[in-house]
Amino acid sequence: MAVALVNGVEVELDSHEKLNGIQVAARLGIEIPHYCWHPGLSVVASCRMCLVETGTRDPDTGEISMVPKLVPACQTPARDGTVFVTNSDKVRQARAMVEEDLLIHHPIDCPICDKAGECLLQDYHFKHGQGQRRADIRPFTSRRRPMGDTVTLFVDRCVMCSRCVRFTREITGTSELMVVNRGSHEEIDVFPGYPLANRLSGNVVDLCPVGALGDRHFLYRQRVWFMTSHAGICTGCSTGCSIWIDENQDRVYRLKPRTNPHVNQWWMCDDGRYGFDYIHNAERQTRRRVREKDGQHVELEGSELPDRLTRDLKSAGRLAAVLSPHMTVEAAYLLTQFIRQFDPQAMLAMGPVPVVGADETFPNGFCIHAEKCPNRRGVEEVLAHAMGRIVTWDELTEAVASRSFDGVWIAGGYPSPWIDETSARTFDDVGLLIVQDVFDSPLWRRADYQLPGGAFAEQEGSYVNVADRIQSVSWAIRPPAGVETEVRLLWRLLERPGLCRVRDVLHEVAVEIPYFHEAVHEIPPTGLDLKTAMLAASMD
Amino acid sequence: MATDGRILTDEMVEAIRAYFPRYPTRRAVTLPALHVVHDRLRHVPLRAVVEIAELLGVAPAEIQDTLTFYGFFKQESPHGLTRAWVCRSISCALRGGEELMEHMCRRARVRPGQTTTDGKLTLEEAECLGACDFAPCVLAGETLHKNVTPDMADALLKQCGVTLRDVNTRTTSDN
Amino acid sequence: MDCEPVLLAHVGRPDSHTLSGYEAAGGYTTLRQTLRDATPQKIVDVVKESALRGRGGAGFPCGLKWTFLPQNHPGPIYMCINADESEPGTFNNRILMEEDPHQVLEGTILSCYATRASTAYIYLRYEYPQCLKRLQAAIDACYDAGYLGKNILGSDYSLEVTIHRGAAAYICGEETGLIESLEGKRAWPRIKPPFPAVEGLFRKPTVVNNVETVACVRHIVQRGAAWFKSIGVPPDPDNPRDIGSFGPKLYCLSGHVERPGCYEAPLGISCRELIERFGGGVWKGRRAKAAIPGGISMGLLTAAELDVPLDFVGPVKAGCLGLGTAAVVVLDETVRMVDFLHNSCRFFKHESCGQCTPCREGTDWALQMLERIRAGRGRLIDLDLLLEIGDSIGIMPGTTICGLADGAAWPIKNAIRKFRDEFEHTIRATNPHGYMATDPVPALEMHALQH
Repeated sequence: MAVALVNGVEVELDSHEKLNGIQVAARLGIEIPHYCWHPGLSVVASCRMCLVETGTRDPDTGEISMVPKLVPACQTPARDGTVFVTNSDKVRQARAMVEEDLLIHHPIDCPICDKAGECLLQDYHFKHGQGQRRADIRPFTSRRRPMGDTVTLFVDRCVMCSRCVRFTREITGTSELMVVNRGSHEEIDVFPGYPLANRLSGNVVDLCPVGALGDRHFLYRQRVWFMTSHAGICTGCSTGCSIWIDENQDRVYRLKPRTNPHVNQWWMCDDGRYGFDYIHNAERQTRRRVREKDGQHVELEGSELPDRLTRDLKSAGRLAAVLSPHMTVEAAYLLTQFIRQFDPQAMLAMGPVPVVGADETFPNGFCIHAEKCPNRRGVEEVLAHAMGRIVTWDELTEAVASRSFDGVWIAGGYPSPWIDETSARTFDDVGLLIVQDVFDSPLWRRADYQLPGGAFAEQEGSYVNVADRIQSVSWAIRPPAGVETEVRLLWRLLERPGLCRVRDVLHEVAVEIPYFHEAVHEIPPTGLDLKTAMLAASMD
Repeated sequence: MATDGRILTDEMVEAIRAYFPRYPTRRAVTLPALHVVHDRLRHVPLRAVVEIAELLGVAPAEIQDTLTFYGFFKQESPHGLTRAWVCRSISCALRGGEELMEHMCRRARVRPGQTTTDGKLTLEEAECLGACDFAPCVLAGETLHKNVTPDMADALLKQCGVTLRDVNTRTTSDN
Repeated sequence: MDCEPVLLAHVGRPDSHTLSGYEAAGGYTTLRQTLRDATPQKIVDVVKESALRGRGGAGFPCGLKWTFLPQNHPGPIYMCINADESEPGTFNNRILMEEDPHQVLEGTILSCYATRASTAYIYLRYEYPQCLKRLQAAIDACYDAGYLGKNILGSDYSLEVTIHRGAAAYICGEETGLIESLEGKRAWPRIKPPFPAVEGLFRKPTVVNNVETVACVRHIVQRGAAWFKSIGVPPDPDNPRDIGSFGPKLYCLSGHVERPGCYEAPLGISCRELIERFGGGVWKGRRAKAAIPGGISMGLLTAAELDVPLDFVGPVKAGCLGLGTAAVVVLDETVRMVDFLHNSCRFFKHESCGQCTPCREGTDWALQMLERIRAGRGRLIDLDLLLEIGDSIGIMPGTTICGLADGAAWPIKNAIRKFRDEFEHTIRATNPHGYMATDPVPALEMHALQH
C-alpha cells in the first residue's frame, strides 16, 4: 500500500490510482486552490495557484527531504513517499501573490457579475488573498463579446486559465475558442464567422472559474445564493446525464452537470442543459378534470378522484395501459399493479419512443443519444415482466382501433407534442379514456379523466439509461398546485398506507423483477449498473 | 487577389504545400504559411486565415491564435511598402535609439506602429535586432542600416519614398 | 589570456560564408573522418568529456543533455538549432551564421550524428534576413555536395535540415517555447517534466542546442576534449557544482564603448579586460557606471564588480543570474538607472508569453510602476513592491513555468539593490509631494503611452 503525506498526515493510495497533489489533499478534506487544473482536461499548470512544497520521505529512515522550490500540485504525482506541504508561509505567500496578480487587470465588478457567490476568484481572495490592494487602481467595466448563441464572454474578467479553449480542442474537437494576443493583453475570442456552436457548448461556462463566460440562458436571472441545488437526472435522452437542478422557491433556473464517471463524467449537452423551460410553461395542465355526461370537462377534487375513478374502472371491463418512456420505474410499476387489479389480462404497452436524428459521439466518448427519453429500458423491463413481452405503441393503437378495450389509461409526460389529431381519433370509441400528461393535446381533449402529470424536476424515482444503469433521485421542486405526480397519485389510488415512499416501491420492484435485482441495495449517487450484476448472476 | 474570390493565389498555395514534406504534421507549416502570405500581401487578412486553415486541416481559430501571438503579422490592412524596424532595446537605447525613433516619427509624420498615409512606410519598434555592434540600427525590409544618424535616417526615409516633414517644426504629428 | 581564434578563425576571410571557402580552410574533413571512423556514442563521449556547457544562456552541459535521450528509440529523433537569438545585447550567433554558416552546419551535422537525429530544424529569428540567405545557400550547397540528405558521404547516416523562420517573439528562444512554435502553436513553454529529450518536438525525443554550442562541437570533435579543456577556467575545487568553464567564448560587447563588437576570448575574461583590451575603453572618455554581464536577463554589475570573471560562476558570485549569453553592455556615468530599468521592464512585459499568472501580471505591474516613476509620480514604496515582484517570480522559486520571469526579475533586483540610493533620489526629486505615499495610486492611462 503506497502512502503519501499531506501536512504530516498519511494518505493511502491504491496501486492503480494516479493522483496528483490536489486530489490527494482532497482525500483529507484539504483544499489546494486552483484555477486551470481540471480532471477532465490536460494539465497546463499555468495559473500557479496550486503551488505547494513537495519532498520525499525516505522509506528506510523516514527522513523527509524537501525540494527548495515550489511546485504546482496539479502536475506533481502522488507516489509512495511523496510529501506535500500546503500550509507553510511560503505556500501562503505564493497564493496571495497569484491572487493579487489576478486582480490587477480585473474589473472587480461583482455586484453586476453572475458568478458572484460561486466564483473562485472571490472565494480564494477571501481565503488566500492579500488584505490590502497595492497595485495601481483602475476601475472599469468589462467588455462583453458574444461567443455564440449559448455563451457570452465578459472579456476582462478572464484569468487566462485556458480551460474553455482546451475544452473545445480536447473534448469536442471543434476548436472554436482561441487565445489572441500575447502577455497581459491576452483575451479569449472566437474566429469571426465561426462562433462557439457545438452541442456541448454550455460546459465551458461550468468550466470557467470566474464570471468571464456567461450562460445566456441564465444570465442575470437569479443570484446563486438564493438557489438550492438538487441532485437530478437529465431526461432529455437515454444517456441519462447526472445533473444538478438549481431552483429557488420551486422555480428551476439552471441545470448543471453532476460528476458521474460512469455516465457523463463532467459534462452535459446543450439540449439537456437548456431543455427545462417547459417545466414553467404557462400552458402546462394543472387542473384535474372529468368529463360529465354532457361532454363538458369539470374540475375534480383530489379527494373525489379515487372513488369515482375506481368505480369507472371496475365497470369498464377490458383495460389497457400505455406507459411512456418518460415514466419513472416506480410509477410504471405501480401503474401496472393498479390496472391489473381491475383487469388481470390488461394489455400493458410502451408509449411512443421519440427518436430524433442519430447518436452523436464526441472525441472523448461522450454521446448524445437519438432516443429522446430517459427510461425506455426501465419501463420496458417492467412491461416485459408484466406482459411477458414488449407491446409497442403501434400494436396497442391497432388493438384500440379494433375495439379491444373498454378503458385505456395513457401515462404520457412528454415535454413536447407527441400525438396528432389522427392518432388521437383512434381512441374516440374507448369508453373510458384516462390521460395523464403535462400539456394539452388532441388526446388530452378526448380524455374522460384529465390528470395533470409532473415534469422531470418534480419526479421522485428511478430511470435506467441506455447502458442499463439505474439512477435514483428525489424531487427538486414541488409541482404547480393541482398537479399530483404519477407515483404519488398511484400510491394513493392503490390505497397504500401513509406518505408515498418511493424507495419502498423500488425495493418491491427489485425483489419481484430479476432485471432490477441489484437495486435491493442502496443506490449510490452515480447509479448502479444493472447489467453487470445480471451477467454476474447468470454466470453463478 | 486570386480568381473565384480566393485570397491565396495558386503560387502561394504551391509555396505552402512545398513545406509539407519537411514536417510530420501540417499544423507545423502554420508559421511558414503565414510568412508566405504575409511576404506577398504585407498582411494576412481574415479570409486568408480561413484558407490557410483549410489547407492545413485545422480550425481557423487555431491559425488565428498563433498569428496574433506574434504581433508581427498585420491583419487589418497591409503594412507599408517598406517596413522599417527601429530597435528600442538596451544597446540601441544607450546609443540614441529612442531619439532616432522620435526623429523618424516626426519626419514621417507617424507614431510607432503606424503607416504613412501614402502607404510607403511603416515604422515599427523592434526589440533587440541583434546588431548591437552597429547601434543604433534600423532593419528596413531586408536591409540592416547600421550606426544610423539623423541624416542617414532622413536618407533612408527618402529612399522609401516618404516626403519628409520640415525638421524645424516642433509639434509631433497626429496621424 | 590569449589564444588564437577558434570560432572566429574563418570570419573575415573573403568568401568565408561559401562552401569552397570553408572547404579550402579544411572544413568538413572532421565530418568525413567522423562518419568513416567514429560511432555516434564516441561523439557523445568526447563532447561529454569536454564539459562543453550550452552557450544559449542556461549553460547546461551539452554532452549530459544528449545522454538524456532514450537508448534504442525507434525514432525519429529531432535536433532543433536555436537560432532565435533575441537576448538584448547578443549578436554572436548572427555573426557565426552570416560569416561562417558552414561551421554551424558542420557542427549541426556532427551533433545530429551523435544524437542519431534524422531531422534538424534551424529555428531562425525573423530579424536576421542576411543569415537566412547565407544559411539557406549553405544548406543548398551541402545537399549538392552530399554533406546533407540521404547517405551522407556514402555512409549509413541521413539527415534533413530545414530552416524554420520565427516571427519576432523572444520566448521562442526558450527550449519548449521553440518547440511549440515549431509545431505551429502559440509559443507557450511546456511544463517539465517531461523534458524535450524524452518528449519534445512532435512528442518525439528532441535536443535543442544553441548555434555557438554546435559550432564548439565541431571543434571538440576535431581537436579533442583535452584541447577544449586547456582553454578557460577549471572548476573551483571548493564548489562541487562547478564543472568548469571551458572553451573559447564569443563575447558581445556593446553600449558605451569605443568599439562595440563580437570578440573571442577564453571563458573567464573579465568585463574590465573586455572593455579595455577589446572594446577600446568606455566611450567619450567617460567612466563605466554599470555593465550587463550576459544579456539583459542576467542583471547588472556595478563599476566595482567589473573584474568579476565572465565564466559560468563569476557573475553569480556578484549577484547576477549567470553568464547567460556573455553579452556585455556597458552603461556610462550619464545613464539614469531608472531609464535602464524601464527599458528592461518594457522588454519583458512585451515578451512575456502570458501563460502563467506571476509573469504575465508581474512584468506588467513592474512596467506600470516604472512608467509612473518616470512620469514623476513614483513612490518610495514602489521600490519595495518592485523588489517583491523580483524576488517572487521565476522558475527558480518555482512560481513560473520558464525562466523568462527570472530574466525579468534579475535586472529589477540588481538595479534597485545595487543602486537604491539613486532610485530613491530620483523618486524624491521628481515627485517631491507624493514620494511618501503608501496608498494605491490611480493607474496611468496606459493606452496613451507607447509600448
